[in-house]
Amino acid sequence: MEWLLLAYRMPREPSTPRIAVWRKLARLGVAKVGDGLVALPADARSRERLEWIADEVAEAGGEATLWVSRLTSASQERALAQRMADAIAAEYRALAAAAADAAAGGPVKEQAAARLRRELRRISQRDYFPPAERDEARRAVESLAAEAVAR
Amino acid sequence: MRWATRAGCHVDRAACAWLIRRAIDPGAVFVFVDDPDEVPADATPFDMRGADLSHHGGDCTFETMLHRYGLDDPVLWDIARIVHEADLDDEKFDAPEAPGLDVLCRGLSMTLDDPAMLAVTGPLFDGLHEFRRRTLLLGREPS
Repeated sequence: MEWLLLAYRMPREPSTPRIAVWRKLARLGVAKVGDGLVALPADARSRERLEWIADEVAEAGGEATLWVSRLTSASQERALAQRMADAIAAEYRALAAAAADAAAGGPVKEQAAARLRRELRRISQRDYFPPAERDEARRAVESLAAEAVAR
Repeated sequence: MRWATRAGCHVDRAACAWLIRRAIDPGAVFVFVDDPDEVPADATPFDMRGADLSHHGGDCTFETMLHRYGLDDPVLWDIARIVHEADLDDEKFDAPEAPGLDVLCRGLSMTLDDPAMLAVTGPLFDGLHEFRRRTLLLGREPS
């Protein structure tokens, strides 16, 4: 499969644009594969988003190049995909736990359900290799939402 | 005037093309290219890397266009919030319409080529503009 690689370098100070760029990359669910080097599975949407981030890096006085690349080792590719799936799985587990907590305790299930649904959507958007935990998180959030409606 | 943008239009480019025809250049002709190097010399590029009419400082291209052309119609700025969230989804604005608009545009871009896409999304944005215009006038959503 093809990957997008963003190689970038930004001035250490000011730190605000550097942090803003990292937040955007994290939101896209990139895998960090080196210092100033992040990877995403290649598709048109990810490419467009990384291109804008590359421009943002340049506007902040840094340097960025975007590459389309292919891993030469299938096992390393599996390991990379697994690493991304593991990171996302941890997010889904935390979400399922938060949904269980809200179902067990709070009187504000409606707000909690709405918030967790948004969070679930955000996680799904950066989920390139869906793990089994996704379905558990979905079930937990939807059962919380069903409870909130039933009340 | 000729305007150039990247092929494969999604929400930001579709909204910009609508805005150009509506508020900047009614006779606009659009050219779709794959690379900034392919922009014809007589065309104004938008929503492309390196173009001035593009993403800047966290703004999407639609917002940049409103700034550059001094368009201060509050309805257009209201639409800008929706386009921003549909394109960037960074939760800068509260725009519940955005995920729906994003999905519609992404879906249309799968079934239509770029000129057909703009022909369909034009009336879509006309309707959105009218809806938001009446909402702003009434202070609540129209029935």
